Amino acid sequence: MTLALPQTVGIPVVRARASIWRRARTRESATALLFLLPLFVLVVALIGYPVYRAVWLSLTDKLVGYPERFVGLRNYAYLAQDDTFHAVIRNSLVFTVGSVGLKIVTGVLMALVLQNVIRGRNFFRGLFLLPWITSTVIIALTWRWMFDAFPGRGFFNSVLLDAGLLRRPIAFMATPEGAMMAVIVANWWRGFPFFGVSFLAGLASIPRELYEAASVDGASAWRRFWHITLPGLKHVMIVTTLLSFILTINDFNIVYVMTRGGPGTATQIFATYSYQVAFGQLRWGRGVTICLFVVPILVLGIVMISRYLLRDRK
Amino acid sequence: MHDSRISRRSLLAGAAGASALLTLPRPAAPAVKKGTSLKLWILKTYVEPTNKAIEASAQRWAQKNGASVTVEYFTFEDMQTKYVAAIESNSTPDVGQLETSAPARFAGMGQLVDLTTFARQIEGQVGKAPAAVQAVTMVGDKVYSLPWYVMGAFWYAWRDVFEKAKVKLPTTFEEAKRAAAALNRPKDNFYGMGQSWNRTADGYGVMQSLMYSHGVGWAGKDGKYKSLKTPAMQNVMKWATDIYKDGIQPADTLTWTGSGNNENFIAKNIAQTSNGPSITFALENALAKATDAKDRKAKEEALANHVALPHPAGPDGRRMWAIAMSFGIFKTSKDPEAAMSLIAHLLSPEETVAVMKDSYGQFGPVLDKARAASKDYFNKNDNYRTFGRAAEWFAPTGWPGPTTAAAAEVQASNVLTDAPAKVIVDKWSVDQAIEWEDKKIKEIYDTLKG
Repeated sequence: MTLALPQTVGIPVVRARASIWRRARTRESATALLFLLPLFVLVVALIGYPVYRAVWLSLTDKLVGYPERFVGLRNYAYLAQDDTFHAVIRNSLVFTVGSVGLKIVTGVLMALVLQNVIRGRNFFRGLFLLPWITSTVIIALTWRWMFDAFPGRGFFNSVLLDAGLLRRPIAFMATPEGAMMAVIVANWWRGFPFFGVSFLAGLASIPRELYEAASVDGASAWRRFWHITLPGLKHVMIVTTLLSFILTINDFNIVYVMTRGGPGTATQIFATYSYQVAFGQLRWGRGVTICLFVVPILVLGIVMISRYLLRDRK
Repeated sequence: MHDSRISRRSLLAGAAGASALLTLPRPAAPAVKKGTSLKLWILKTYVEPTNKAIEASAQRWAQKNGASVTVEYFTFEDMQTKYVAAIESNSTPDVGQLETSAPARFAGMGQLVDLTTFARQIEGQVGKAPAAVQAVTMVGDKVYSLPWYVMGAFWYAWRDVFEKAKVKLPTTFEEAKRAAAALNRPKDNFYGMGQSWNRTADGYGVMQSLMYSHGVGWAGKDGKYKSLKTPAMQNVMKWATDIYKDGIQPADTLTWTGSGNNENFIAKNIAQTSNGPSITFALENALAKATDAKDRKAKEEALANHVALPHPAGPDGRRMWAIAMSFGIFKTSKDPEAAMSLIAHLLSPEETVAVMKDSYGQFGPVLDKARAASKDYFNKNDNYRTFGRAAEWFAPTGWPGPTTAAAAEVQASNVLTDAPAKVIVDKWSVDQAIEWEDKKIKEIYDTLKG
């Protein structure tokens, strides 16, 4: 039996319920906002404000010790026709692409080797991580010493001369190409363990059955690598490469310690040139602009890769 | 006949005048309130005993005046960064040691206290600096810092190498180049010279000495921009690049950092180089730490054979760019009077000589009273006699004009050393490099209005 409640009674009940629900929702929203507030403050204070300040400074002629004056896009226009900055863009790209490319190749090799090492696996993992945990300045100084032209001091020259493979030492860092090679090698050596460890984690998530099935079908080791390992590592590889690209294009220590951007401007990159302009010439507006030039490219890259990864997941 | 007796009136007037003079504050040492606390920033050099001696001198002042001094160090590497951060965050020290370009730059920013009157007041106590050094501390006719010493650059050579090859020790840049060619033995990994055009004082400093000694400046006596496109500058650029083309230097010289020439000279890989007295310090220090008789003999020989010559002269004379250190007071100081008192103490001939004695010749006093008081110290040997004359040859950044903010930026922008690098590395012509350098310098002067 159903009881038919008079409409006059039902409406206030429904209204009361709706009002309670609304109140509850408002309370929940308020609580949620309260919990979100610290994060919001952090994001605004630690990310939003510095970014806003950097963009603002790039639109001013800020000199250290003087108030900033708005100059619009004058800093960008200046850099667009600055021959040193053109060299800086070229050098930064060569340095970044060269370093990251080497890191990907050696990272994959490191992961494949470590995956197949049974005895002393932890020892070798620890050993490979050494470059990653060593101070960057120590790494830069060590590689500088390794490439030194003087026999008895430069490692490579000493070894090659002692082995009779050379008659005269090679001045590795005397030419633009050699100096660039040296900083790329130092950066690669510092960064490849990060790739190796990330790829190793990626390899662990590839189902073994895929390899077994491929083996049964007669696939060679190369075909298994090409059709199973690489696609299986795709996501890890994209994320690692993106992160490393961002870190490498913004690198400062290795180039500053090893070459100071020299010889000439052969290894001058965004961070070292920005430092020279901002702290040497005291032109903060222009110094910040040098670093901001690269931001749109990086943002575009991040957005494209994020969309690609999300689409893949869907 | 004139009465030589003194009247009572004149005696009383004289006594009153004398007591009034005695009660006036002594201009050379401004008053210090008990409990005053000052922050002093000083340069930390490679010569550790000098750093400690300066700190000890500051503490002597604090003890004498019932005050306290907190000493903070900066190095050549972080000097600019530290001051820039302090200026932007309004946390500058009371007293700061300032390098060659800093007084003009910081005074232009309105950061430094005008010390014109104070400089006049203490002149009787500490003496005067040579005009070229004085120029570093002034903007227009106002004094913003008080000079203390110059860390000169000298031409280091191995006497035994020169004697063995019967080559004369150089006195000019041309002689140095010819000597380098005569002494060069690349097959033995021994080179005639080691001069890097890098981004340190060993690069831009020597380039300025080379330019100024050839009579080339990028500014006039009024401190305004002047074109570099002259035949004399072509000779400068030719010398700077010929030493690379002729193979008389190690192939990687251009990439040496600040210590590259020190290391290569001490290791006897090169016959000559330009450097501050830190090479002498290293050799004296090495001897003090000799492990056995054989080691001691080798180090004694090295010390005896290394010679620090005056920096080479050019066709227009001998002008040596150097790091000129002075003291300035920042406007943020809560007690500028005490800061002046501290500076007066540090600059006094006694304190200057006390610090200098722990400097291994690196500290070349510039104020004439301290120079007179340090004569004995610099008579130790030929090298020290040369160190003692650093102030005589000093030429400031922006010579023949005063050091201005624009002149300082020319030095900081590395355009002076990037220009020869363009010829050496990028194979530009000398004229192309001068044209590029001149354009960059003009641009700096245009934006900073000279």
